[in-house]
Amino acid sequence: MKGLERSFYSKASMYSFIVLMVLFFLLWMSTGQFTKVKWASSGYMIASIIFFIGMTIRLTAWGLRPATQQMIKRSFQNMKTKKRQKRNTKAIVTTLVDNIILQKYIFKRGIYRGVQHWLIAWGCIGSLAITFALTFNWMSFKMVDPSTFAVVVFGFETLKMHPESIFAEMSYNALNITSSMLLVGLVMAITRRLKNNDLKVTERAEFDLLPLYLMLAMTVSGLVLTVSYKFLSGWMHPQMALIHQITVVVFLLYFPFGKLFHLPIRPLATAVPMNYQEEVGVDTKNCIGCDELYSNDDQITDVQAILGQQNFDFEMQDGHKLSDYCPACRRKIRVMNHLNMPSPFGKTMEEPVQTNNGIHIPGFGRERNETFYEDVKGEK
Amino acid sequence: MKKVMYLEFERCIGCRSCQAACRECGGHDAKERNYVEYIDFFESRQTYPMMCMQCKDPACAKVCPANAIQITEEGVVLSAMEEKCIGCRNCTFGCPFGIPKFDFEENKMYKCDMCYDRTKYDISPMCASVCPSDAIRFIDHDEMMELRRRRTQMNLIEGKKPSQNDKWQYVPEFFGVYSD
Ligand code: SF4
Ligand code: SF4
Repeated sequence: MKGLERSFYSKASMYSFIVLMVLFFLLWMSTGQFTKVKWASSGYMIASIIFFIGMTIRLTAWGLRPATQQMIKRSFQNMKTKKRQKRNTKAIVTTLVDNIILQKYIFKRGIYRGVQHWLIAWGCIGSLAITFALTFNWMSFKMVDPSTFAVVVFGFETLKMHPESIFAEMSYNALNITSSMLLVGLVMAITRRLKNNDLKVTERAEFDLLPLYLMLAMTVSGLVLTVSYKFLSGWMHPQMALIHQITVVVFLLYFPFGKLFHLPIRPLATAVPMNYQEEVGVDTKNCIGCDELYSNDDQITDVQAILGQQNFDFEMQDGHKLSDYCPACRRKIRVMNHLNMPSPFGKTMEEPVQTNNGIHIPGFGRERNETFYEDVKGEK
Repeated sequence: MKKVMYLEFERCIGCRSCQAACRECGGHDAKERNYVEYIDFFESRQTYPMMCMQCKDPACAKVCPANAIQITEEGVVLSAMEEKCIGCRNCTFGCPFGIPKFDFEENKMYKCDMCYDRTKYDISPMCASVCPSDAIRFIDHDEMMELRRRRTQMNLIEGKKPSQNDKWQYVPEFFGVYSD
């Protein structure tokens, strides 16, 4: 990989190139050497390609952060370790089921929020999957004969069923189902954003609201299309199709760069049970100050490595790092230092912890001559 | 933001008003994000308040694998973005002062955000606005300088003379975001 990387301008360009090649090849396969490209949906196709490149670049940039890299590195190490296979599988399965499919932790933040997020998330992922599958022609439907309906994947007929079966109905209406889910979720989310004042503390219009309204425009125009051809015999269909295509294109271009980018980050959560905390809330490492359990060895090693890479020097006189103490002890150390008293652990830091908080006090940084102090004392 | 937070630990009387006030702050979801703790319970009843330093180069944000901790243009280090935080607790272990708290149920970190909705407009944060003993103050930079100078003099009067390398031991905690 290292050698290959050198032939490219950057990591991001290497991965983008690979992704492009894969997309190109898949398109070539699924469209019968480009003979069956659907030109009417070329807007979708170009936007989807840009979506994949944007995603690749953003993910590469994210993966280059020392903290992310460290965590991913340890995950790969653990995945390769034979002894940990049971724990790894368990971590992946529970994260997938609890955090990604069911999103339990969001339901704990509130039922309303849980329902809202679940509908948006799965509505969105479903719609995206169908859109990609259809625009790149990876999947299509075909009537083989009047009583058989087939799902064509990459040009091969796979599932066959009766055109009036439930599954067939569901596949005709798949996009309508996912967009209805999205619509309900979006209305809930927008209502919450309008009503709840607490959210306005850190709300940013372009970050928190724009994606909601963008998805709303996309969903509504898509549903109007369905209404138009099903019930209004195609009234305003071409115009609506164009509007819908524009909203989808904008959405796809926006996706990798805004709030929605949290979607590809979430799977990293597997690293927590896999690398650090096998059972939620159960710690295994003792604080060297008070002997209470507060963390686990691997995580502290990783945190110290990440801090070291970024030149944070939190080492104490006794050679321990601040992160070897539990948070409560660290708070105490800070206070004792500032009260100029020995800390309960007998050791103090030589210098204040450098947090570089940007306030510089003229006078304190310079050396004063001895008489200054004599004068101050003398006044009393 | 023109003002700074100014803490004088020994003024704390342990009333925990700041924690009650913190729970009331917008977006804090009725959970306090600051600490009031005993220095050494077996020695005395002296307590101290503790909140985030709002570091300029925050270790918590640098150890976060999800890039969930954002810094505002004024320099306030915000609580984790709920959609990004993967619940790994790296921030809790990376912070030199043990500040970020963690909610296992909701799988997210939350920390002192200096009541950003208030301090953004130079209104005192909840904790400073209720502290009856002025252990936590939100004051002008000049006033802070004045207080620090006086403190240093007091220390000298008490015979604590700083040497070249430990002047910092003779002035009380000050922090916060100060941008001119
Ligand atoms: S949580 Fe800790 S590291 Fe982060 S800004 Fe606050 S004091 Fe600094
Ligand atoms: S707990 Fe959340 S905010 Fe803290 S380091 Fe992990 S992902 Fe970042």
